Amino acid sequence: MRTVSRGLPLLAGALAIAYPWLVPNYYLVYAGALTVMYAAMSTSWNLLGGFTGYVSLGHSAFFGLGAYGTGLLVVRLDVPWLVALPVSALLVTLFAAGVGIAAVRVRGASFVIVSIALVSMMNLVVQGWRSLTGGSTGLQVPSPFPGLHRGQTHLVFFYLFLVLLGVALLAWWQISRSRFGAGLRAIREDEDKAESLGVPTAAYKVAAFALSALFVALAGGLYALWFGSLDPIFVFSILIGSSMVLMSLLGGVRHLLGPLLGALIVAPAGEYFLIALGETQIHLTATGLVLVLVVLFMPEGILARFARRRAGPSIPDESADQRLQGVSS
Amino acid sequence: MSSLRTEGLTKSFGGVLAVDGVTVELRDGAINGLIGPNGSGKTTFFNIVTGMIRPDAGRVLYRDREITRHAPHRIAHAGIGRTFQLCRVFPRLTVLENMLVAVRRTRLRELMAGLRDAGETERARHWLRRMGIEHLEEAEARDLSYGQQKLLELAAVLMAEPDLVLLDEPAGGVNPALIDRITGLVRDLNAEGRTFLVVEHNMDMVMGMCDHVIVFDRGAPIAEGPPSAVREDPRVLEAYLGV
Amino acid sequence: MSLLAQGLALGVLTGGLYALLASGLSLYFGVMRVVMVAHPAFLFLAAYLTYTAHTVFGVDPFLALPVTVPLFFALGVAVQRLLIARLAPENVAMMSVLLTFGLALTIEGLLGTFYTGSYKSISMDYATRSLTVAGVHLPYDKIIAFLVAALTLGVLFAVLVKSRFGQALRATIQHREAARLVGIPTERVAGHGFGVGLATAAAGGTVLALITPFFPASHWVWIGKLMAVIVVGGLGSVTGAALAAVLLGVVEGVVLVTVDATWATMMFYVFLFLALLVRPQGFFGGRLAHRF
Repeated sequence: MRTVSRGLPLLAGALAIAYPWLVPNYYLVYAGALTVMYAAMSTSWNLLGGFTGYVSLGHSAFFGLGAYGTGLLVVRLDVPWLVALPVSALLVTLFAAGVGIAAVRVRGASFVIVSIALVSMMNLVVQGWRSLTGGSTGLQVPSPFPGLHRGQTHLVFFYLFLVLLGVALLAWWQISRSRFGAGLRAIREDEDKAESLGVPTAAYKVAAFALSALFVALAGGLYALWFGSLDPIFVFSILIGSSMVLMSLLGGVRHLLGPLLGALIVAPAGEYFLIALGETQIHLTATGLVLVLVVLFMPEGILARFARRRAGPSIPDESADQRLQGVSS
Repeated sequence: MSSLRTEGLTKSFGGVLAVDGVTVELRDGAINGLIGPNGSGKTTFFNIVTGMIRPDAGRVLYRDREITRHAPHRIAHAGIGRTFQLCRVFPRLTVLENMLVAVRRTRLRELMAGLRDAGETERARHWLRRMGIEHLEEAEARDLSYGQQKLLELAAVLMAEPDLVLLDEPAGGVNPALIDRITGLVRDLNAEGRTFLVVEHNMDMVMGMCDHVIVFDRGAPIAEGPPSAVREDPRVLEAYLGV
Repeated sequence: MSLLAQGLALGVLTGGLYALLASGLSLYFGVMRVVMVAHPAFLFLAAYLTYTAHTVFGVDPFLALPVTVPLFFALGVAVQRLLIARLAPENVAMMSVLLTFGLALTIEGLLGTFYTGSYKSISMDYATRSLTVAGVHLPYDKIIAFLVAALTLGVLFAVLVKSRFGQALRATIQHREAARLVGIPTERVAGHGFGVGLATAAAGGTVLALITPFFPASHWVWIGKLMAVIVVGGLGSVTGAALAAVLLGVVEGVVLVTVDATWATMMFYVFLFLALLVRPQGFFGGRLAHRF
């Protein structure tokens, strides 16, 4: 049993690494890279959503900023992409921390609204600031690997996104075992109570918000280098943000691998829709309906169905009292 | 040096004075009781002291340092812990995780590097043992009985190592055996040097346990002293019986 | 100076419309503690239906109202009874946002599929002219929008204050448990409350179709705008929201004529975030429960 639970992640990891060599064509490598990108982003989203319960529908703002930051550094300032990517991500993280200070002051539904407002705002800024961003005509970013053909580029980015996913998973896992993580989960359960136990909830939330923005921004930067052309309407679209939420909820926000599982289902389904139906708006409807169904029938996600609670639903009171009698202080 | 002291603490909600110019001082190292009829401002007073509510006027001083309007976590760091009237634990965290939430000081290194460090876990187990619930450490808190949750809440508060513990109705909703147990625990913890402030409706508990009792009525203290004296005070009888 | 007066006048006129659109949101929040993100999506659904009625059947946009208003009322009841009421009570606030967000995406996708993503607009000849008062041009379409909004709001208030249904609704908003104890069927009332909310969206959508071109994704901007109105006004009072609506309408109008459209829209977000910083306890603080 133990070897199975140890071996399974290794096997899955090996399979993921081998994936581009197992599939028959470069299109499937591209689809794989896209799926891994979404998995990395959802896992990153879950650093905030899963731990603190703060549902952000606006994480595409950080995706878009990461993408434009990287793109602009490369195009306008001739910064090498290996430098542009982390610099842009760090700038976005700082920005997220600033926004977070205001945003996490409101709870629950209000926070969701604020996060939606954030994307709309970013969209306005990027489209309005034409001289810098190229406005709605977009921004062209040169490929970092000019020697490779399109398919090989997909291959390289598949592995880059895989590394990002690995780091995001590692971060989630590490935090989930830390007291910082316990504090974040306590915020989800009862924020005022956590505060009264000495948890600096505001600082914790801002830290989680910024950290989750960091990996999403990195994904955005990689996306810019990969696709080579940025369209503000796409990268700042509410749809990217809602995909992260949908994937995480579907898989299970309380589990390390929940968002990854959700991404493995939703992203290929989305690609399939695109092929089967072409460029229509109906994929919005599909996303919306699935979200409605998940919220109604499976808000805890798929993994919650498999994870068993460690103790039964009720522990008899007598046992505690009996023990109390036995314990002498 | 005094423990907790307030000066002219005032708070009104929509024109109703919940706490009306309260100036009180707790006995350091004692078990202080706070009693009064329903709606006399006891819980509002608690919430102001612990930073959950901002007062309209007045000051709160702890060990002669002003803590008025500080954020609740800073007040916790200053050494004041509290429980809630309707016991509050983190339902979907395990008992042990509930214990590890408490933060004594904000040391980033300790929080991130000291992942589940053995010392903290051992400290948590120590408190769980004293409460008699150490066998439940892997259970989720929502699976505990109400009495067990009350003990867990107290244990989690003690994890933060407060010098002053505010208990909001520790006997509310628990069986008599457990009330005796909690009374014993509070006495022991007090003997180890912790000061207590207990809001409680169970008069037997208050009179049997407390060294010093403060009586609130209509948002202000009307009497204070040792239990025996307070019990005989005509103002207290009037407030309670409406004579 | 006349530019300023122009912006001011336009702002007051659009502010009236904002007040109508925000009133629906207050209603949902009141009866169910639900933040209805899909309200603007329904608004544009109404706008598109009006567009179809106008282009296919050639009827005046306002003649579509006798159909769209009851239809939207029924839709609202259905949304509340079939979807919102099923949510687990402990996390309604958060889950309802996600649920209605899903609805908004669904509607946007359907609109995009049926009507394509390009801009649509309805122009009536009576709406393109404008009234000039003391050098200030007041377009007729904006005047009509203001009047319709004021009329709908008036009817809404009359219903809430005078009718038995309105009393039951207000009782449900103020204290659900108590209302149930005195025999008010709170579930049904909540459903009807949702219906009335969506009915205002039908009226609002028709007006919107008259004064502005629209495309399927238009509703996102309106979520931000309406939330800003509610935050600045404090969800506590409809009067507050109405005042905020006019204030933001005026700010938008003035910035629109003096700077540009991007900044005019940006003002809503600026006010949203400013209000948040001033009122950190959040804008859905339950004050509505006591004053409607």
